[in-house]
Amino acid sequence: MEDKRSIFFRYRKIIFAVVLFMVADAVVIGINFYNTFKADESAVSINLSGRQRMMSQRMTKALLTMDRSLEAGDEEGLKISLKELTLTARRFDRTLMGFRDGAMVTGGDDNPTYLTQVETDESRKFVADAYEIWNPYMKLLKPLMNSDRESFLDEAFKKKLGDPKKLEEVKNKFKAEEVFTDEEFKAKLEHVDNFPEKFQAELKAAVAFALEKNPTHGEPQNNRAILKLMNALTTDLEHVASNRAATLRIVLIVGILFALVNFGYTVVISIRDLIRSDQELAEARNETVEILTTVREGLFLLDKDKKIGTQFSKSLPDILKRDIVPGADFLPHLEAIAPRNIYETAMDYIELLLGDRVKESLVTSLNPLTNVPVLVTDPRNNTQTRYLSFFFNRVVTEGRISHLLVTVQDVTDRVVLTQQVEQAKNQAKVEVETLLRLASSDFDALQHLVSSVGESLSQINEKMSAPNDDARDRLHTLNYVMRIVHGIKGEAAVLGIDVLESYAHECEKEMVAMREEDSFSGNQMLRVAVLLEGFYQRHSSLAQIVSRLGNALGKTQTTGGTAEWVPQKHPFEDHITALAHRIATDHGKQVEVSCQFERFFSLPKTTEKELQDISIQLVRNALTHGIEAPDKRVERNKPRTGALSLWCEYLGHGQYTFTVRDDGCGIVPERLREHFVKKQFMSVEEASALSDHEIANRLFQPGVSTAEIADQDSGHGIGLDAVLEKVKEMGGHMLVKSRPDQFTEFNIQFSTVQVH
Amino acid sequence: MNGINERDIHIFVDAVSNFFFHVTEEKVEIKTAYLLENDVPSATYDLTSYITLSGNFTGRIYFSAPRSMLTHLLLIMGEQVRDNDRLLDTVGEIANTISGNARKHFGETMEISVPISQETEPDWLKTVVSPHSYIILVKWKQYRASVVVDIQRAGQT
Repeated sequence: MEDKRSIFFRYRKIIFAVVLFMVADAVVIGINFYNTFKADESAVSINLSGRQRMMSQRMTKALLTMDRSLEAGDEEGLKISLKELTLTARRFDRTLMGFRDGAMVTGGDDNPTYLTQVETDESRKFVADAYEIWNPYMKLLKPLMNSDRESFLDEAFKKKLGDPKKLEEVKNKFKAEEVFTDEEFKAKLEHVDNFPEKFQAELKAAVAFALEKNPTHGEPQNNRAILKLMNALTTDLEHVASNRAATLRIVLIVGILFALVNFGYTVVISIRDLIRSDQELAEARNETVEILTTVREGLFLLDKDKKIGTQFSKSLPDILKRDIVPGADFLPHLEAIAPRNIYETAMDYIELLLGDRVKESLVTSLNPLTNVPVLVTDPRNNTQTRYLSFFFNRVVTEGRISHLLVTVQDVTDRVVLTQQVEQAKNQAKVEVETLLRLASSDFDALQHLVSSVGESLSQINEKMSAPNDDARDRLHTLNYVMRIVHGIKGEAAVLGIDVLESYAHECEKEMVAMREEDSFSGNQMLRVAVLLEGFYQRHSSLAQIVSRLGNALGKTQTTGGTAEWVPQKHPFEDHITALAHRIATDHGKQVEVSCQFERFFSLPKTTEKELQDISIQLVRNALTHGIEAPDKRVERNKPRTGALSLWCEYLGHGQYTFTVRDDGCGIVPERLREHFVKKQFMSVEEASALSDHEIANRLFQPGVSTAEIADQDSGHGIGLDAVLEKVKEMGGHMLVKSRPDQFTEFNIQFSTVQVH
Repeated sequence: MNGINERDIHIFVDAVSNFFFHVTEEKVEIKTAYLLENDVPSATYDLTSYITLSGNFTGRIYFSAPRSMLTHLLLIMGEQVRDNDRLLDTVGEIANTISGNARKHFGETMEISVPISQETEPDWLKTVVSPHSYIILVKWKQYRASVVVDIQRAGQT
């Protein structure tokens, strides 16, 4: 409505000019029509006025001819003249009446026509003057016209038409000529006496009047006076007609001039408006182009068919890193860069915004396209992850949603910064928590952990520094890194150092994902290096905290060599027991742990550490895969609480055995086959072809796990292969015993005596 | 803690890769990446060029390559002169490409020095500022070269 009003306001001058033009046209046409009508009337009046002149003369001529015919006894001439007199006198009378009052008269073409009364005072005076002569004249003529008939008939009857039949013919003829009616004829037949004399007298009187001098009008005869008046009337009527024609000309000229002026005005206004509109349009276009070329955000309009508008900001293709064609479909571009689930949600969201059913403000918070990680490829074919945010605003035209205005921002820097801030905050929080935990922990064990993790990280870095030319070697390196990281996770878990344990877990997850990618390239090695750097950061923070704590406690850092004290109970017993209870709780299980680690004191430090790492992994395995949930154990007629035992025995001659045993579900080859097939580690045929021994051995391959869901304790397939690797590094060997639904036992035999 | 991420590091490596691709239509390939540490091979080669950054990031980016690799590159480029100075110019050009990419990625606020090219000194890596600088080993044809990213975000320690 507002728009319509503004359109009328904007073009009000042109509209006014057009309306004025139409009104003026209508007026001119009206005047023209009126004048034309009047010209018709004038033509009739002038014509009949002219005829009056002629009639007056014909009338007088007929009168004089009658007079002469009567004297000469020319009955035929008398008859013709009488007829002429009657015709002319009647028409003259009727026409004069028309000039005076307006009346139907016989026109020039003998057809009836309406004669309007004269309009000017002069004409009215001429008519009035004519009546002054005509009235007495007509009075004299009327009996003459009647007596003519009687006299004529009388003469015809008496002298020529003795035959009644002849009389009938004459009667019919005059009747046909409308000279008189049947009744008149009869009546006149009865009065035939003395008429010739009377007729003659009346005729003489009429002639005398016609030729009588008229002093009023300065004419020698009334006849001439009538002629003069009719002449004057004709002239006046012509003058009126001429005036009217002049008026019409003036009206037409004024009308045409007005129309020209109006046209000129309209043209000037239109051109001025057009030029102004063009200028405004050009300015608007220039502004739009400037905005679209300057704005850093991607801006474009999206229509109901989800097509990109014909204009969009110059930065849009750069932000999306895609060639954008005006009018192109938006969704394929979005699909190509956005994750699948976000793309699908976004489609629904856009559809919702294009519909009229929901308010824009209500759904804005549902926008799935904020901080979207997208994979973009730059012109140099480098793929990178960037974060984009799309904002949608409805464009409403005449109360209906016509488009969506889409704003795209590259928010990568902001997101990365936010992530870094978040990471820093988390790290600070973790560090505080760690500090609190450390304060209550065994300080020597902490020192040992710092030293051990530092060594592990160096081992990883050294391994990675060797360039690998083929993917298999790189994968081998990755598996190596994963095993060490797994070990760090276990060590950290024992002391409850979340900052290391959770980071190790994150790294494991990422590396598992890398391992499952089609090809393991050098780019992934760079990613591993970045993860390693993260480890170093955390290790460095931990080392600093431990160092400060040591200073506070008045202790110095040990080099990880010999222990300064020999307690009866090895401290690792408490650590591993705590870890076992935590894992059991996390998995809804119950466990009772028994340990005998006194022999650890007599082992070299490296061996002791290897055994601790192995213990951690086997305890994780026992609690995630072996020991059942309490209800399940009851079903199998076992105590609700599982039993987990770890012990180290000296066999003499430097020979040791280390055993981890649980009373869980055991290793069941058939179940393993089903699981491996289900997890697509192998086909049904391959699983069937393997012996029970071979299928159990698969548990020691990298990447194989029997957990259904990966979590912090299991599921990444890093466990038993790492244990086997460590046993090999110790120069020992491992035996596995198991009975379905009864127990599993890992028995490691090793020697502390160097064999050369 | 140097405050840089994988994306940042890729900017520098991609610059080297694009240089080789532009000249020889053959990209360099990352063979491995690790962190600079004692007792770990430092992976330096005959000639080294570096640029120094200041602003949001501080530190240096090094590109180090063997003479044989640079000579091969000059052969492909159709260069007649392949003496030591020309080889130093070439390694400097590669560092300059890194500089261009860095400016584009990190913005105009970053100040970057002109490349300084020299024959690699035995203990050059002792000048590093970052606790654990990244060493990225790349391969072009049969040659190996290294990109060393020794920078840290301003405010990081």
